[in-house]
Amino acid sequence: MLTFEPDETLAHRLDPRSKLAVQIGFAATALAHPTPRALIVLSVLTGLLLAAASVSLRRTLVAYRFALIVLVLAPILSGLSLGTPWFDRPAAVTSGLASYRVLLILLVSAAYVRSTPVRASRAAIQRTIPGKPGQVLGTGIALVFRFLPVLQSDLRTIREAMAARLGTERGAIDRASTIGTLGITRAFNRADRLSLALQARCFAWNPTLPPLEFSRVDYPALVLAIGLALSAFY
Amino acid sequence: MATEQNSVDLVDDTVVRQFARAALLAALIGATAAVSIPIPFSPEPITLQVLFVFLAGLVLGPVWGFVSLVLYLAAGAVGAPVFAGLNGGVGVLVGNSGGYLWSYPIAAALIGFIVHRGTELRDLTAVWLPVIVGALLAGTIVIYGMGTAYMAWLLELGAWEALSLGAFPFIPVEILKMIAAIAIVRSGGLRPVRS
Repeated sequence: MLTFEPDETLAHRLDPRSKLAVQIGFAATALAHPTPRALIVLSVLTGLLLAAASVSLRRTLVAYRFALIVLVLAPILSGLSLGTPWFDRPAAVTSGLASYRVLLILLVSAAYVRSTPVRASRAAIQRTIPGKPGQVLGTGIALVFRFLPVLQSDLRTIREAMAARLGTERGAIDRASTIGTLGITRAFNRADRLSLALQARCFAWNPTLPPLEFSRVDYPALVLAIGLALSAFY
Repeated sequence: MATEQNSVDLVDDTVVRQFARAALLAALIGATAAVSIPIPFSPEPITLQVLFVFLAGLVLGPVWGFVSLVLYLAAGAVGAPVFAGLNGGVGVLVGNSGGYLWSYPIAAALIGFIVHRGTELRDLTAVWLPVIVGALLAGTIVIYGMGTAYMAWLLELGAWEALSLGAFPFIPVEILKMIAAIAIVRSGGLRPVRS
């Protein structure tokens, strides 16, 4: 599982906004250029970005295993054809290059995830998107992070209780609707208590945020982000 | 340190309740990513996420159902492990399952809009059944349409290859999820927040 890990790397010292900009620029140029030459350059860059956040390649690939299966199957499926020549190599190569760039994009985003705490991401979103939409997004993201483990354990409790009552022997619809009803009822009970607590604490559209500041290392990162984004057009 | 000098602008009561439900539903959708059932003939595992996308549209309505799914995507983008296989990050949003993910808010809004005929929420047990079925079908078509179209474009696949990789294996399961969603809302246990 990919999560934030406290560390002292270069990526950890960057402002979250410049890291987001680098990711968007990288994705834009990788999606625009599925050519072998561009992909070699982008692979080297990916290596540097992973090193800057000291991400373990092996652990990241394990975390993305489901995506990897699709990325491996796509070129094979694209190459298979009914009738001679049975395997269409150019089509498979095109699809393979396309799949490889997706892998690079996933790896770069792993570097962001490892090096950025949630509250920094939240502050970045709220400072970039002004007004109420930014508030809703920022607060909402923080709540999702806070309640994710709680609701995961709710779901685990529900499934264990079902298993104890031989619920696993029932049909798929029955099981899905039981998990759905109980899961959502519990979540909404929590939501109603949460909304009361939020109102008791004067939940407002304009609270005070933690400070964010660009430091000297952010400027090269921003230049890189802009360069990558512009390179998508060439 | 930056401070704001304005007076406090409190959030409205209905908005707080709907917002809290939207955020918790987003977290619940993320929590169900851990409950994935692998199926033999497709690389993508089954998750219950689409069931909750249906419920977001049905119970929260077009506006807050949409907000809920946007929160889910945003939390995933900044690194919450909420996508299938417990992944997060911006990369997943432009990766091979990106099309499905971006379609969720649109599908939830569409379902909510058809069922509630606008932004004012109605009692779900009083809605004519074919309307709910039609809304869920429309939502499913949006999800799989966007999902496979994006996958085909991204991985340079033909239409049939993309459909056989990203849509056909899921049709039986989607029908089960629709029946489950209808059973849940028809049981009457969930009441929409009405202003």
